[in-house]
Amino acid sequence: MEEKDFDRLLEICRLKLDEKEKESVKKDIEDVIKYFEILGTVDTDGIEPAYHPIETMARIREDLEIKCENQKELLDNTKTFRFYVVGPKV
Amino acid sequence: MQELKKINGELNAFSNISTSVDKFPFSVKDNICVKNVETTASSKILKGYIPPFNATVVERMLEKKFGFLGKTNMDEFGFGSFGTNNENVARNPFNNEYVAGGSSSGAAIATSILKYHVAIAESTGGSIATPAAFCGVTGFVPTYGTVSRYGLIDYANSLDKIGIMARSIDDVKITYDTIKGPDRYDATCTDNKIGNHDNKKIFIIDQMLDGVEENVRSHFDNFISKMENEGYAIEEKSVDVLDKAIASYYIVAMAEASTNLAKYTGFKYGFKNEQYGHGYNRFFTEARNEFGKEAKRRIVLGTLVRSASVKDKYYIKALKIRRIMLNELNKLLSGGFIASPVMPMLTPRIDDSEKLNPVEVYKMDKLTIPPNLCGLPHVSFPIAYRDSMPIGVQVMTSQFNDYAIMDFAKIWEEKFEYKYRYNIGEL
Repeated sequence: MEEKDFDRLLEICRLKLDEKEKESVKKDIEDVIKYFEILGTVDTDGIEPAYHPIETMARIREDLEIKCENQKELLDNTKTFRFYVVGPKV
Repeated sequence: MQELKKINGELNAFSNISTSVDKFPFSVKDNICVKNVETTASSKILKGYIPPFNATVVERMLEKKFGFLGKTNMDEFGFGSFGTNNENVARNPFNNEYVAGGSSSGAAIATSILKYHVAIAESTGGSIATPAAFCGVTGFVPTYGTVSRYGLIDYANSLDKIGIMARSIDDVKITYDTIKGPDRYDATCTDNKIGNHDNKKIFIIDQMLDGVEENVRSHFDNFISKMENEGYAIEEKSVDVLDKAIASYYIVAMAEASTNLAKYTGFKYGFKNEQYGHGYNRFFTEARNEFGKEAKRRIVLGTLVRSASVKDKYYIKALKIRRIMLNELNKLLSGGFIASPVMPMLTPRIDDSEKLNPVEVYKMDKLTIPPNLCGLPHVSFPIAYRDSMPIGVQVMTSQFNDYAIMDFAKIWEEKFEYKYRYNIGEL
């Protein structure tokens, strides 16, 4: 994999690695991708992808209003200001 | 409790332990939410996360006769086969210089050291069968979708299954009957009836014995001979597509993992970046530095295989191969069980496991991946001891035939004496 392609991939992943870690992860990725090539030998024409291992019926919950009893506890995992969750600048 | 805490200090089974439990104790893998108890999936990025709710499985256990004992150690987010991808390396209760197996390492250690206890664990690609085998306990993974995943910190949604570890298959069954069943909070959770159909036949698959070390193979062959004496017909089969199971599994697992890990942004759960003045991308990137190396590797690989330019070549291809595998295994399993060793080698030493590169580690999961990729129920239990370390077998059956492999394990359990180094809580 070209250096610039790997840098772009890290950028998409929102990961910043130091030089040593980057070199090691890049090598690992190349080795694993090379191993994945084994799949090319299987004829899969006309086969439906199996997104799930079991056939599930689409079940939809009734659209009911449910009172949330633990709003405070939910917000306890965040930093808040008044009733807002504090986050980074967009 | 004192003895448990002392031994836990040596083996790292629990990340936290309750002060007292007045009912039959159960532990919970640290990627399953327990109300008001820190839940981190062994990741620094979730440090400090306190769930305000119980996972459905925890709620159902508490409603019955079980008492919460503590959270168990694991590989970060379930990314590992040895229990070493975390801050506190899990150690084997039979010899602490050896791995406990992963990713449900703590669940297996806890089951091996506690006389009375069941563990709620989770398997994505072998995270129950492997540690159960290395620690000499019974591990059960149900059919995908029969146990609610609500409250489970997702690794790979189409592969994750909450399962059980225990010292006896009876305890597994009681626990399974407690936690299974549809859940309004998990749309993939089914209400299919669980069957118990035994054709008195065991299939041995050529591809699942390729590369198995001779000292594991000999114990497996001995087990098969004994089950033959119990009236099981043995038949050897070949399933070519199983040679592609590892690659297919890791592509699907990493693709799903990379999307699931996108939610850890440094301000909603656990770790807080605090540098709110930084732009979103910089803030997010800084927060994600808290992931361990294997998590980062899986994010990169998962993102790569989902890229528009190669998605068909890797991700869609892997899903098609899963379909072929599902069709072939379902057909075969309608006629009998499939048995294999759990791992192709004996339990490795911790220092040896650290020398393996990622591809070598992924290849170790060769035998546990097929049932996990296809959502098939499977059980692992000890069949022999070599140099005082346990060796396990894995038996799988068709979807929704979960009770059949429990009865199968029971036949063995009544003939073979399981050994433990510790019996904490023995009366």
